[in-house]
Amino acid sequence: MAISTRQTEGFTMPELEYLAQSESITIVPLHRMDRVELVRGVVGPFRPPQKTEVPLWLAVMLKRTNRCRIVAPKWLAFEHLRDLCRREEQPDAMFTRLPVHYLEIAHMLLTHAEDDLVEPQGIRRLLQDLREVRQSKTHEGLRMLNSQQLQMDNLSAAEINEIRPLFRHSFDMLRQLDVLASATEESQQQSQFAENSYSQMDDAFGADYTH
Amino acid sequence: MARRSYYDIDDILAGQERVPCVLRVDLDGLGSAGSGGTSKVHRNARWALPYWMADRLNEEDYVDMEVSPVFSKRANRMYTASPESMQLRAICQYFYLFGLQLGDMVPDIPQLLRNMFMQRIIKVARIAQQGQNVEALDFAQSLDKTEARMLKLCQQAQSSISEWHKNNAYALKRAAVTASTAG
Repeated sequence: MAISTRQTEGFTMPELEYLAQSESITIVPLHRMDRVELVRGVVGPFRPPQKTEVPLWLAVMLKRTNRCRIVAPKWLAFEHLRDLCRREEQPDAMFTRLPVHYLEIAHMLLTHAEDDLVEPQGIRRLLQDLREVRQSKTHEGLRMLNSQQLQMDNLSAAEINEIRPLFRHSFDMLRQLDVLASATEESQQQSQFAENSYSQMDDAFGADYTH
Repeated sequence: MARRSYYDIDDILAGQERVPCVLRVDLDGLGSAGSGGTSKVHRNARWALPYWMADRLNEEDYVDMEVSPVFSKRANRMYTASPESMQLRAICQYFYLFGLQLGDMVPDIPQLLRNMFMQRIIKVARIAQQGQNVEALDFAQSLDKTEARMLKLCQQAQSSISEWHKNNAYALKRAAVTASTAG
């Protein structure tokens, strides 16, 4: 199978979405069901008004067949996102804490379980704002790039993936320049050393001649 | 001498950049290769040779290699003064790779290249995010091959998220090649 450039440069978005599907989420089942034994673990039993934790993919599947209601995670509430946005927009603010797969989870919930969210349109808008602020901040953060590391805390998987090609190739270039710099320094030192030893020899011989 | 990467086509092409050389021996029958005229080339004649050739001949003392005008003192001052406005594509298509190869001749090169690279790469990231405007287009025209490739990768990475947001990530698209041949 042909591998696209995107695949050699990190994850593709569908791949990240797939990874995000194993995050767990709370649901309220609408039907009675026994425990289900899955490879990743056991889910259930489902007793209607009782909340249970299931992987996201299962929640989406149950939701599609109308067998559950998804309880929106706390960070996806309108007020919480608005606070985050405000905090994020402050100058010199660090990245705010969000789940690693927040973009993917939010996207999936907004697509499949829009009716379980309060003010879905507002949430969409806030997420977009949040993403844009974080994006420009990420680009500011690239200034701190050096040949050893690039540190930005609380970046999500998709955001890292977005700048991955940039810092990957930059590291490569900076490392090569480092090697070159140390090589030239070494050769300069050596030539200096050689000159010094010659002049020492001269001194020694000069001393001999005077005797 | 410069470490060459044997399988890297860009590195090989970067070695094609010509550097000025001064001949140290008389050469018979090679006049047609140089400035032409007589069949004999005299010592102290100036030749511009590709770097890969000049490097080797310099080692064996047939020629004296001089610093390429791309990294002359005057050019270096210009790079330091305004790294973002240099037209690297016009100066040398493989600016950074050529600089890496020339490294031993000019000791300031690593520092110079690092400053330029850092400043310009941040601008690359910025215009990849902004998309199309006059400033971005002008800057994109001035990128050397290494930077141009980075710009393309950045744009791809950014568009992949918005494509996925619009649910286009799963759709199979017709390849550009088949579309153009069919059209």
